[in-house]
Amino acid sequence: MPAESNDLQYADIHRDVVRSIVETGRTYYITLATAAGITLVCFFFPWFYQLYYGIGAAGMNHPGVWGTYLASFIFWIGLSHSGTLLSCVLHLTNSPWRKAIYRSAEAMTLFSLMVAATMVMVHLGRPWFIHWTVPYPNQMELWPNFRSPLLFDVMAVTTYLTGSSLFIYMGTIPDFAAVRDRTTGWRNHMYSLLSLGWRGTDKEWHRLHWAYTFLAVLIIPLAVSVHSIVSWDFAMSIVPALHQTIFAPYFVVGAIYSGTAGIVTVMFVLRKSMNFGQYINASHFDNLGKLLLVLSLLWTYINVVELFTGWYSGTSTEYEALKYKLFGYYALMYWEMILFCAVLPLLCIFKRFRTSFLPMLILSIAINIGMYTERFLIIATSLSRQYLPDAWGLYVPSLVEISILIGSLALFVTMFLLFVKIFPSVSMYEVKETMDTPKAEPAAPPQGSPA
Amino acid sequence: MNFLERFAAGWRKNRKPGYYDEFDYHWSMTIDLDRCTGCEACVTACQAENNLPIVGEKAMAKGREVQWIRIERYWEGEYPDIKLRFIPMMCQQCDAAPCETVCPVSATYHNQDGLNTQIYNRCIGTRSCAVYCPYEVRYFNYNDHKWDSPLDQQLNPDVTVREKGVMEKCTFCIQRIRQAKDHAKDDGRRRVRDGEVQPACVQSCPTQALVFGDAKDPTSQVSKSMNDPRAYRVLDELNTAPSVVYLKKVEAKDNHAG
Amino acid sequence: MTNFAIGLFREPHAALAAAGTLKRAGFATPELQSPVPIEGVEEVLGEKKSAIKHFTFFGGLIGGISGFSLAAGTAVLWAHPVGGRPIITIPPYLIITYELAILFGILFTLAGFFISARFPAIRERVYVPEAAVDRFAVTVACDDGETFKRAEVILRESGAEQVRAQTEEG
Repeated sequence: MPAESNDLQYADIHRDVVRSIVETGRTYYITLATAAGITLVCFFFPWFYQLYYGIGAAGMNHPGVWGTYLASFIFWIGLSHSGTLLSCVLHLTNSPWRKAIYRSAEAMTLFSLMVAATMVMVHLGRPWFIHWTVPYPNQMELWPNFRSPLLFDVMAVTTYLTGSSLFIYMGTIPDFAAVRDRTTGWRNHMYSLLSLGWRGTDKEWHRLHWAYTFLAVLIIPLAVSVHSIVSWDFAMSIVPALHQTIFAPYFVVGAIYSGTAGIVTVMFVLRKSMNFGQYINASHFDNLGKLLLVLSLLWTYINVVELFTGWYSGTSTEYEALKYKLFGYYALMYWEMILFCAVLPLLCIFKRFRTSFLPMLILSIAINIGMYTERFLIIATSLSRQYLPDAWGLYVPSLVEISILIGSLALFVTMFLLFVKIFPSVSMYEVKETMDTPKAEPAAPPQGSPA
Repeated sequence: MNFLERFAAGWRKNRKPGYYDEFDYHWSMTIDLDRCTGCEACVTACQAENNLPIVGEKAMAKGREVQWIRIERYWEGEYPDIKLRFIPMMCQQCDAAPCETVCPVSATYHNQDGLNTQIYNRCIGTRSCAVYCPYEVRYFNYNDHKWDSPLDQQLNPDVTVREKGVMEKCTFCIQRIRQAKDHAKDDGRRRVRDGEVQPACVQSCPTQALVFGDAKDPTSQVSKSMNDPRAYRVLDELNTAPSVVYLKKVEAKDNHAG
Repeated sequence: MTNFAIGLFREPHAALAAAGTLKRAGFATPELQSPVPIEGVEEVLGEKKSAIKHFTFFGGLIGGISGFSLAAGTAVLWAHPVGGRPIITIPPYLIITYELAILFGILFTLAGFFISARFPAIRERVYVPEAAVDRFAVTVACDDGETFKRAEVILRESGAEQVRAQTEEG
């Protein structure tokens, strides 16, 4: 295997990526079994208990009717904004550094959305009726309420899920064809079906390019709208700390922020576990670090705006909610959020930090912890301090909720592990595009088919 | 031409805010805070009438009470000039209710009597209506409830028992309103007379602090009560147009100038 | 049954030049198979028009109309007054319109892609496996041995590494 990255040939990428799919070591199976096991024990069993016992198994009460389930839902949708949105934007601006990482980033989007959808079902009081939110003709002649922000959610997340899955599928068709040639048996059948008979003709490339570009153009406004719509679940209420117009940009910026941090985490893991060190290198982390810095500054600004307008409004309820957020029961969490999301990312100013892998990993995990705290605080502090002081309360998450939170992470990891064995997790044809084309060698024997 | 006219008429009707040209009745309540002693007889009556769950000590400690009408207590002043204020707070049946718009499955809507109704069968338990309500009068069933014997024998057969995962709130004893309307219809298709229907809380208040009736009827007691100079609505600035009017408690020293 | 002459190249511009020469020499329009899209194909082989943009546009239009009809139509069918709002409320329904417009746009674009690129491939067509890895292939239809020889000459002159014949069933 060649050591220097500038010596790589097309055939090397081909071989490496196909090998990552076809060859499976024991470490993979152990990791998969662990992740699946944790999902079963920490996510599904507590959820079944909650289905039997009622939402009372969680820590919610009156007035804290929303809790970690909804915070997790928003967190996972936020995480989903990284991959596809970033991939689309960078595709339209023809950026080269996107090529190696976008496939896994888009997969992250897809699986985050699936986990978010599961969190909705965990959150509902009677999830067996969740199909009532779908507009379908029925014998009761009932339709969902299209004025509800939660229904915008249903429409938006469904559209985003469909769009993301079709986008990642369409972009992978050439790679499926390439892998198809190298596999046998059931894998060959599967990839033959998935690649739809792709041959790589100039006509097909042309069509793919245009379809992909149109999808990218459609998905960018979609992604911006999805998290705005999710923010309007809160912003359309008239409760003091939630009824703010800044919420739509706040959530979108937060989503891209936490999503980019998620990409950094996933890229680090891919580098180590799949030996993609040649394809995902320090320059990618450098660019991601710059993006994180910009988003962190934007996020800090929006937080300052929120605090300022709350204080400047002079209304007692708004001021009370603000004071509670900063100095109340959850004050420690608030300042931890500020530390992780506003202060620590300033380290990305230094190039040396941005190009070191382990510090970037730690920073990305810290950012995501901070962003989860942010979503949790938005819910918990706002519901605790509303208009009528007699109805103020305190919400503390229960063990079932914490377990489901850990389980949802394990669910995501399980799905991602299955993904890397079916999809080529690095886009072969795009990485080949960034490399020099193979030069004709005058007298050397043809390279022949690589192993 | 005919189709266009019909379409235009339909469009105008469907664009009218609130949709109803007129309510059949406009059930409203006034609460005289001068008379309220905070005895919570209304709370007990409501629990008995509407099959409210007895959640138990542990759930109460966690904050999971279900009290369709609750007495809010506010302490004012420092010792020895402490005053205690009571405000009975139940669903204000807002005409511009923030809770109604957010239900994704339309489990809550405004009916032709001016009431904000909750359809238990349709509720899937998103709890967003509870978040949107600024008065926080919506209560969620966190688990299935049972009434220890012999309390299960006093359940009201006119009212359903809600299962876990369903949202509930004060309905102005809609089962009593329905019964009164049916009785009035049988009795010569007349309107319900003032005082013929009273929710459980109104009926049980020992000081008659609560007055209930049809605000469309200018001769009803509640209409006259609503025109009292002490009248105000809670959180009026939010423009929720509540149907519950409170009569401010007047202190002795308020009468003296300066 | 069509016979094809396949030329394998290591560099894309050589393959492109070969395709141009073949076209000018009067052969049926050659096809290029490659692991990455080649630049400059349109200058040599002629402009390609794709119908995909029409699919996207009509998808968005149909989606938008469906979205608004769904929201407003079902609201009128089941008049359900909430929150003192009218039955047909414009701002929320615009959001539904927007989302469904994008959804249908995406679905129609995918359909357009499949239709215009002739996916899924039902009958077997000429395929060069090396073109998926690191070679650039030029395929041109040849009726008989003579045409094949002429094609072979042109391909070798343009720098083909390997020339072979392949038959396509059907």
